Amino acid sequence: MTLGTVINDYRQAVFDTDRDRALSIVRDAVESGVSPEDIVFKVVIPVVEAMMKAIAEDYDNNLAQHFMTAQISAQVTEEMLPLFATPPAIVGRAVLGTTKGDLHSLGKRIVIGCLRSLMVDAIDLGVNVAAETFVEQAVAHQAQVIGISAMMMHTAQGADGCLRVRALLAERGLEDKIRIAVGGAPFRFDPHLYRAVGADAWAPDGISAGRVIVDLIEQVRR
Amino acid sequence: MITGMDRLAAAIAGRAADRIPVFCNLLEQGAAEVGVSMRAFYQSPDLVAEAQLKMQARYGHDNVWSLMYVGKEAEMLGCRDILYADDGPPNVADFILKSPDDIDRLTIPDDLFDHPGFADSRRCTEILRAEVGGKTPICAYVTASMSLPALLMGMDKWLELLLMGPFDLRDRLLAKCSDFFIREIDAYRKAGADILVYSNPFGSTELLPMAMIRDLAMPWMERDLAPGGVDGVVYYCGSARFNKVIDLVIERLGIRAFYLSPLDDVAAGKKAVAGRGLTFGVIDDIKMVGWSGNETRAEVRRLIKAGKPGGRFGFGTLLMPLAIPERSIQIMLDAALEAGAQDEGEP
Ligand code: B12
Repeated sequence: MTLGTVINDYRQAVFDTDRDRALSIVRDAVESGVSPEDIVFKVVIPVVEAMMKAIAEDYDNNLAQHFMTAQISAQVTEEMLPLFATPPAIVGRAVLGTTKGDLHSLGKRIVIGCLRSLMVDAIDLGVNVAAETFVEQAVAHQAQVIGISAMMMHTAQGADGCLRVRALLAERGLEDKIRIAVGGAPFRFDPHLYRAVGADAWAPDGISAGRVIVDLIEQVRR
Repeated sequence: MITGMDRLAAAIAGRAADRIPVFCNLLEQGAAEVGVSMRAFYQSPDLVAEAQLKMQARYGHDNVWSLMYVGKEAEMLGCRDILYADDGPPNVADFILKSPDDIDRLTIPDDLFDHPGFADSRRCTEILRAEVGGKTPICAYVTASMSLPALLMGMDKWLELLLMGPFDLRDRLLAKCSDFFIREIDAYRKAGADILVYSNPFGSTELLPMAMIRDLAMPWMERDLAPGGVDGVVYYCGSARFNKVIDLVIERLGIRAFYLSPLDDVAAGKKAVAGRGLTFGVIDDIKMVGWSGNETRAEVRRLIKAGKPGGRFGFGTLLMPLAIPERSIQIMLDAALEAGAQDEGEP
């Protein structure tokens, strides 16, 4: 089995939202001698990037595909990492959660899956997360990015959400060290809303969120 | 005097009227209107009805809602924990389906009309019926079988089951949710609702690929709607886009009214409906929170200009967030009543 066929078959399985096929393609490849490192860096990550590109070009894509791409990519990466010859370098770290008063967990879950497959150490803080917790956890984990998900207008722009996280970062002199990314339905309906709530960036879907958060990590690390 | 009901009937038939129907969904604003907390408001069908009637009398739009909040549907099926906010709608805080066994244990009440969980929605509908019945269309919100599980188990667990199976378990859950839908829409019809908003985000290409909508979602929608028919039913995907499925919905389900997404192109939506039904152009009320009066006015005019020519068109909002300034609501409705005047109907 050549790496080229693995990439093609795996890409097709992910686009078809067929997890079982994707997993068996990867497992067969490892069995036939493809290295776990190649699976992650030459198969999984390029397919996530192909998906980002497709989304940016407004190719017909949907939640089911975003969800399955993140799901499959994270699962394959998780299976491969322990098999690496030497532990891989992580790109950076992010803490993510759904904001205070909000219990919607799906968006965050997709973003985290995507980040993990991109070699970002993504820490899940859960739902209904207080602004203080976002900041404390980011500091404790030395994360470069706080990711905040909000599904409703009152939780996206309310005083206990991102606005408060921004105020806390400013108060504690952490603004150079930690960036804020936001996402969720209200930000998709109003692409300027992220600025009004004091975030540094936003993304319309979990796959593009991967790129946006990696960019923020690089800004901080520079 | 020409009423909201007359305007709606004219728009459905493609006849001329004094103006297009203008729908404005004001619920959260009701708490301040009657001077109570959000929590007290959403627990009282009398207040929800009273506040809406007051706001409708003031602003002059053409509809009211029997809906209190969508989480009510989960309450009817056993959810006991609702999270109230001071500045937004209530949300389901406890998912009743936590394990596969819970799905098999879930029972759907035979009769919803007399069910205690339906009592508030019924009372609200009946008050509205008594006050403005036959004059102002009363809307009911009914979640489709394929979207209801999101409220019962959470959106992420539901997507997992929907896309990855076990598919026999998924289909057993969908069958129960479809039975619930059939009984709920019937109960709302009995209570006196005129418009039945069939809410199905999973009927949108934003959520599912077209092939899955055709082969998986459609048969469940047919099952939901076949027993009660599609009289008064409006297709709505929870504000997700659905221009591409309009043709399929007309062909397979026979639905004749569409409440577009603000992100759908209104002219393209109307073109897809192609004279076979009524199209609502919907304003992006999340953007309205930050818009100036002029921006709001310009957007209302743009939407109505795109949809009104040729008739069979209405203007609408989503669930207007509380953060929209009162002045903007007034400006939006004044602009809609003005730009929507003289509906020429179908040529
Ligand atoms: C499906 C849906 C429902 C379903 C399921 C709800 C549920 N429990 O999850 C049903 C029909 C039951 C429903 C009900 C309600 N809904 Co609803 N619903 C939707 C809909 C169509 C899609 C939401 C969704 O799940 N999307 C999928 C997820 C994965 O997308 P996402 O969270 O946006 O996440 C993606 C991106 O935003 C991004 N992202 C997310 N987080 C992050 C974080 C970071 C850091 C980054 C970078 C990116 C990122 O990546 C994610 C993955 O691609 C939206 C409208 C829309 N088109 O988005 C309305 C919407 C969210 N609902 C809304 C409302 C109001 C409600 C109700 C409160 C209505 C009511 N009055 O009761 C109820 C609440 C029910 C409850 N929970 O108790 C409003 C909220 C706005 C507002 N007015 O405040 C919306 C926006 C519709 C609208 N425009 O009016 N809803």
